[in-house]
Amino acid sequence: MDKILEVKNLRLYYHTNKGAVKALDDVSFDLYKGETLGLVGESGCGKTTTGVALLRMPSPPGRIEEGSKIIVDGRDIMPLSDKQIRKDVRWEEVAMVFQGAMNCLTPVYTIGRQMMETLHEHRDMDKKQAEELIKEYLGLVGLPPEVMGRYPHELSGGMKQRIVIATALFLKPKLVILDEPTTALDVIVQAQIINLLKKLKKTFDLSFIFITHDLSLEAEVSDRICVMYAGKIAELGTNDQIYGKQGPMHPYTEKLLAATPLLKKKVDTLSFIPGAPPDLIDPPKGCRFHPRCHKVMDKCKLEEPPLIEIESGHMVACWRCVK
Amino acid sequence: MSVNENDYILQVENLKKHFVPHLTLAQSISGKVKKVVKAVDGLTFGIRRGEIFGLIGESGSGKTTTGKLIMKLIDPTSGKLIFNGDDVTVTNKERTQAYRRQVQMIFQDPYASMNPRFKIRDVLEEPLIIHKVPGDHVKHEQMVIKALTDVKLNPPVEFMGRYPHMLSGGQRQRVATARTLILNPMMLVADEPVSMIDLSTRAEILHMMKDVQRDMGLTYLYITHDLSTARYFTDRIAVMYLGRIVEMGRADDVIDNPIHPYTKALIEAVPEPETGRVNIIKELPISGEIPSPANIPSGCRFHTRCPYAKPECSSEAEPELMDVGNGHLHACRRYKEI
Amino acid sequence: MSLKDVTYRFKEFWGDFKREKSGLIGLGILLLCIVVVIFEPLFLPYKDVNGNWRNITYWQDNSPSAPPAWVNLFTKLKSATTRQLDNPEITDEEDPEYGPVKTYSFTYNYKYDLPPLDVIMHAKGTGMIVALLEIERPDGNIVKLGQLYEENMEDSQIRYAVETDAKAMAFEFAQQYASYESIANSDSQSVKPTNVIFSQAAADMLEKRQSLKGEYVYRIKVPAFLLEDGSNHLDDLNLVLTGRVSGIMGTDTAKRDLFSGIIAGLKWALFIGLITSVISVLIGVMYGIISAYFGGFTDTAMSFVFELFVSIPVLPVLIVLSAIFKPSIWIIISSLIVFSWVGPVKTVRSMALQIKEETYVEAAKALGAGKWRIIFKHMAPLLLPYSFANMALSVPSTIVFEASLSLLGLGDPTIITWGQILHDAQGAGAALNGLWWWIVPPGLFIAVMGMTFAFLGFAMDKILHPKLRTR
Repeated sequence: MDKILEVKNLRLYYHTNKGAVKALDDVSFDLYKGETLGLVGESGCGKTTTGVALLRMPSPPGRIEEGSKIIVDGRDIMPLSDKQIRKDVRWEEVAMVFQGAMNCLTPVYTIGRQMMETLHEHRDMDKKQAEELIKEYLGLVGLPPEVMGRYPHELSGGMKQRIVIATALFLKPKLVILDEPTTALDVIVQAQIINLLKKLKKTFDLSFIFITHDLSLEAEVSDRICVMYAGKIAELGTNDQIYGKQGPMHPYTEKLLAATPLLKKKVDTLSFIPGAPPDLIDPPKGCRFHPRCHKVMDKCKLEEPPLIEIESGHMVACWRCVK
Repeated sequence: MSVNENDYILQVENLKKHFVPHLTLAQSISGKVKKVVKAVDGLTFGIRRGEIFGLIGESGSGKTTTGKLIMKLIDPTSGKLIFNGDDVTVTNKERTQAYRRQVQMIFQDPYASMNPRFKIRDVLEEPLIIHKVPGDHVKHEQMVIKALTDVKLNPPVEFMGRYPHMLSGGQRQRVATARTLILNPMMLVADEPVSMIDLSTRAEILHMMKDVQRDMGLTYLYITHDLSTARYFTDRIAVMYLGRIVEMGRADDVIDNPIHPYTKALIEAVPEPETGRVNIIKELPISGEIPSPANIPSGCRFHTRCPYAKPECSSEAEPELMDVGNGHLHACRRYKEI
Repeated sequence: MSLKDVTYRFKEFWGDFKREKSGLIGLGILLLCIVVVIFEPLFLPYKDVNGNWRNITYWQDNSPSAPPAWVNLFTKLKSATTRQLDNPEITDEEDPEYGPVKTYSFTYNYKYDLPPLDVIMHAKGTGMIVALLEIERPDGNIVKLGQLYEENMEDSQIRYAVETDAKAMAFEFAQQYASYESIANSDSQSVKPTNVIFSQAAADMLEKRQSLKGEYVYRIKVPAFLLEDGSNHLDDLNLVLTGRVSGIMGTDTAKRDLFSGIIAGLKWALFIGLITSVISVLIGVMYGIISAYFGGFTDTAMSFVFELFVSIPVLPVLIVLSAIFKPSIWIIISSLIVFSWVGPVKTVRSMALQIKEETYVEAAKALGAGKWRIIFKHMAPLLLPYSFANMALSVPSTIVFEASLSLLGLGDPTIITWGQILHDAQGAGAALNGLWWWIVPPGLFIAVMGMTFAFLGFAMDKILHPKLRTR
């Protein structure tokens, strides 16, 4: 399978006057064509930051540090100039559906006008052609063409999210990053949107990066899952390796799964992890998870565990898993 | 605490809350019709003393409004609210104050529910001051310390001097809980208390809430949209749709044996952390989105999205809750055929 | 909140404030002003200016419309500055005419090109005093100034001014040296005695003259026998040389030292500015909060009243008021408050409306908090920072407003304010007559005071504003 994205040693630090917040600290992963890679973790783990970094759009005072490589379809986008990134990469090759994007639709312009604006930034089309394209994509996401003439406040949450997805797709990017695309939606609408995403992925052979904190949702959406903690990857594996009978390898993932309530099966006890995520300016020495880990060893407190492959396609950063 | 089936601490009878919008002068003249928003439209249920009762609903279901009605933060348009056997639908100032001591609320956003300029000590002392609880400065401080200990924020003295922004989400929610407990209430209304808290801490908060309930003999009304957490935490649940209850019963019963099509659809739509589901396109028999509460469909209000709807569902009167045994109630007149 | 909390909050605020340079400048100037106000007597050249501003006698020894003394640094011809000499030297001498006399002498070092305008001797006398007054010039000549004769005095003021009392004597002296033509062209009335006294004895004494620089001695000779038994005596002798240039900021047409006026006016500027802005902002803020919190009809009614106040034309109303009431400082402050309270209302109201919707306000209601508790404990503290910034920013406008009032003649005549100084300047046509020292300093000080508070206000605004965001 081809790799559509290779991320190597990605570091993103926020340089504040209190010190450098190491939001992403040496993150490496690959995305294959036609697959959905899930980035999952809790607040502060760096999953949203990763999405933003892939578009090379860190918000100041954030900065992608030297040595980071982001290779999109064979081309490293790090050395490109701002102009090149804007013209060639953003939206053309890599598109993103931001968290809460549906609430960022400008209330004073119609949907059609807003989508048109994005289209015009990238393509020279005459009005008729542009309209046709927009209508086509609105249809693809299950919306009638009349929506073009509506204003955002006249539409429901589900409809707005579909519009945002259509806008991300109509330039036919190679890779779409979705950051919590269904968090603000009702459970039934969420299921509808997820269905839509799956259909679109199949039809257009798209590659997705799906970012969420909801472990249950990841299970239903992602082929491979990357579990992040405190700016680093804790575990990376296939859907089966993480959610299957064998269970995950990293203690964090293990506990996280145990903390997720099931619906169709009655759960007697729900786990929790005591403590809170660490301060990213001055993270704990050694493994960043060690203060909260129920399987902590002495080595964990001193040395940071590397991300190693313990079985085909399954990477873990934990001393317990090293033989 | 064992729950007596007939001992209801709170009873809601045909509760309705209709919001009537204001028309501008121009709109009145042009004859525009006032569209009444029927947020809560005929709610009847009872919460037994000592139980955890879950109110499940999506946005637009009216669950938050119900919470506010029960908290008496807003007044109902019609219907009755009976607490501890007394009719508290309309109360004078004094009685309302007394009610507030007995029924407290935990809010969804743990940070927003506390004044960011108050120290934790002030946040917790506020209810004592408002209700003029007798005791001097020292006595109040002791009560604050006890409340913090009850929610397991240790050492209490250290937390007292901090500001909300110095605490994590989970800690703040504990403080919010402590604030409700300091007056020794009988019932707590919790509106999505863990939805803004990290997954790894949720269970911790829920455990704390269960412990507190047991130690203090409290009753909870737990409002949420998250069926999975509700199953874990609650004893009985009621599923709301567009301002009415469509199904109600023991949590396990309702989730394992749903009767109403809406409940069935909800359960089907919830994602589960299990493998092998990536390539499955879910069957979602219900279409569209929840109608606006200003435009409630005729007859059974779910008929517009119901895959089993027949003409009689829209033409006949709205179905009332029917009991199928074991306290499992629902509102689908065609349930036997489905 | 305990003292510890207040100190903590203040330290936090101070840490941020220190970084604002403009704020520090503002604070520095403000502290300087406060020091000046507290130690006013030390700074005032004329100690009793507060209360004697309209007292002509107090200023009689000054020169009118005199530019500031430091102007001398910039002019070719140096003018004599106003000086006062005290504590004369007392000697016993033998006078050819009177015999044994007690001589009181003042030594004056004259180093200017343009002489003083007057030489005035002050003394307090008791009983009967006869005195001979003369000046010994550096060239050895003695100019007789005349004779003083007073009797039946009881600690009475004696004043002998060369300008008024020694004209004839000066002319006589000049006649000894001046050219015939110049003598013919002038007489004792047109002669300026000081010009004669301080010029070189030459033919051009009465016209274009050369100044005679050097040590001058002013002598007051009293026959010794008069002072023998002690029933007659002369005390508190001093000599005032009225300069052409005077003081740090010159004088006005009424001979008042403007620097004293400005220093005296400083406290009123601060007082009026601060009191007015503090009270009007407090009223405005409370008005805005109450209007926002109660909403509905109360809000509509209060907004209506607010609009009413805003649309009142201030100046005409004040002019009418001043015709009815005698203007006093309290009337001024009251009218300033009445017209300034509307300032913060609109902004505070919208902020309060926002805060009203916050979850913690709802939570407080759920706990049973009453209206007033929510307003005072939850809403007002969040608006306090904005209020402080607003207070600082409204001080300059109140000072200017008071100045405008005084300019129009609506000010309080019993106190000295910068606005009044400007008002007098305008009345005397200072601008037209080139009396720049009368106009520029007061205006400058008003501007600086405004700038000081503006700096303070901006700095506070910058720091406290982000904290207005409740998250």
